[in-house]
Amino acid sequence: MIFIVSLITFALLASAGGDALTALRENPQVSEETIDALRRTYGLDRPLYERYAGWLLNAASGDMGESLSFRAPVLGLVLGRFLNSLYLASAALFFALGLAVSLSLLSALTRSASLRIFIEVIVLTTVSMPRILLSLLVLVLLAITAGTSLQIGRGSLTMFLLTAAALGIPLSGIFLAQIQSSLEATMREDFVQLARAKGLAEWAVIFRHALRPSLNPLITLFGLSIGALLGGSVIVESVLGWPGIGSLMVGAVRSRDVPLVMGIVLVSSLAVWSGNFLAELLQAINDVRIRAGNSV
Amino acid sequence: MLQIDPKKLRLGAGAKIGLGIILVFVFTAVFADTIAPYDYADQTRSEPSAPRSAIRMFDQNGSFHFRPFIYRTEVADPISGRYREITDQAYPIGFFVNGHRYRLLCFIETDLHLFGTVSADIDAPRVRLLGTDVLGRDIFSRMVQAIRFSLSVCILGGIAACFLGILIGVISGYSGKIIDTGLMGLTDGMLSLPTLIVILAARAAFPLELPPLSAALLLVSIFALVGWAEMARLTRGLVIATRDKEFVIAAKATGVSGPRILQRHILPNISRPLIIQAVILLPAFLIAETALSFLGVGLQEPEPSLGNMLSSATDITLLRSRPIELLAPAFAIFFFILGVRLIANENERSL
Repeated sequence: MIFIVSLITFALLASAGGDALTALRENPQVSEETIDALRRTYGLDRPLYERYAGWLLNAASGDMGESLSFRAPVLGLVLGRFLNSLYLASAALFFALGLAVSLSLLSALTRSASLRIFIEVIVLTTVSMPRILLSLLVLVLLAITAGTSLQIGRGSLTMFLLTAAALGIPLSGIFLAQIQSSLEATMREDFVQLARAKGLAEWAVIFRHALRPSLNPLITLFGLSIGALLGGSVIVESVLGWPGIGSLMVGAVRSRDVPLVMGIVLVSSLAVWSGNFLAELLQAINDVRIRAGNSV
Repeated sequence: MLQIDPKKLRLGAGAKIGLGIILVFVFTAVFADTIAPYDYADQTRSEPSAPRSAIRMFDQNGSFHFRPFIYRTEVADPISGRYREITDQAYPIGFFVNGHRYRLLCFIETDLHLFGTVSADIDAPRVRLLGTDVLGRDIFSRMVQAIRFSLSVCILGGIAACFLGILIGVISGYSGKIIDTGLMGLTDGMLSLPTLIVILAARAAFPLELPPLSAALLLVSIFALVGWAEMARLTRGLVIATRDKEFVIAAKATGVSGPRILQRHILPNISRPLIIQAVILLPAFLIAETALSFLGVGLQEPEPSLGNMLSSATDITLLRSRPIELLAPAFAIFFFILGVRLIANENERSL
């Protein structure tokens, strides 16, 4: 699958005319010969399939070439930035999961109608609030509070938390809706009734019996959300100046740095795949039925 | 072809509000030139960053005017950018006044605008509902035009993606195991990709600066290529669920051809969930368009789109002094998505 994605991306990038050197043409001081020489140096004069085969062979051995605009190996560049994004995405996931699970538990414990309405309102507003608006909102907040000494990017803990919140809030709405409905469904199951009939306190019924099965759909959602987090990081990181893979991607697209774009697409697809794998693993740990099904 | 039972389309209160919001947006997009009082690119350099016009019913003597009116404004202090009103003449506001010429619905040439100042004076002051930007362009007019652009790209992209998705889903659900497995593998792969990164990668293949029409076409085709997967999966599931029903078997037994069974018997029966899914997909495309234009690789100035309006408002001094420039497009995006979510919420329960 990753192979197909890389092929499509490569073909698109190469076929549509123009590359990192096109902009040099506009410069009167750079002659045609210089550009041709540069083309040869970077192998841009070779036919497409040859370039792709070369790229694939190198990528398979861990060498993704050199970025044209940074003059540095792509792999190191992408991995360094990816780590930054990983911190941010983990914080965002933690935030979203924490908010969703605690609110829905509270709602199940208290069974208050007003809390349920509150949750519905939160779900509706957070899923209608795209990350671009959230990150701009953070920017406005900072602009108003920080005065002239506004500093964004990777400096303070507050900045990190705000950036993570902007990334995580849309996710928390989706999580909240999911766990709320699955927890409500579980609470009507027979085994929960049985636990109640045994005379367990309500909190014990929820924590010991109802919570675990209700987490299953959430785990699936967690696997699927890695892609959303990576995509969302493009916008959040470039607005709030976080030096992650998203802002790197924007720069790479702007300077038409093909090796870098390829590297980012590859690494982020791998990340999504490992996220899905992790989710399946977690599901097997959490859900006894899946384990049983696999071993028989 | 698509016959919908009116009883099935009964909507609850939430969905009605949502549908209302979306219809307002569509109406705005269709009649953008009429609703916008001025040309979106028209710069009045003498009035940069002007505040919104104060619409009054009482003049400075305290006497009441039946028609609301505005006063002419001028820059009082060029350094702080303060404006003051000149109260010697009142300019009444009217509906359906004449302004710059445009083509309504692409072919009727007209110069009627929803509102504006009524005056024989050529340089009568402008009604600025939201003020002007740094270049003296009317923000309200730009907003309306931006909604038209962003919405057209998002809806056209949605239609193209759904068409592609339904096609792939039908083929996958109706054909043999090998094709089905292959297509569904492709679909699952597409679904697990980080969408915005793939869209950006595809966008990187084309020149950065494009004329508006080609930019729009490019965005629509990228959205179609990247966004079909969800639709394909849903269609395949529905086709498989319907293809073994009695009425399909009966049609087969009477010798109806395969494509005709699809068109007459299967598609009409699965049209409702498909339409709902198509609506649910819209926000993703709107957000993608906004993001691309925001990052400067979608529609470019002077043409307005919700994304590039947001990006030109993120200037740090503007954020503090004129938050309206940021808030106006932000609210438009928020309400559109809210409208879709309200419809989706209700139907997810009934699906």
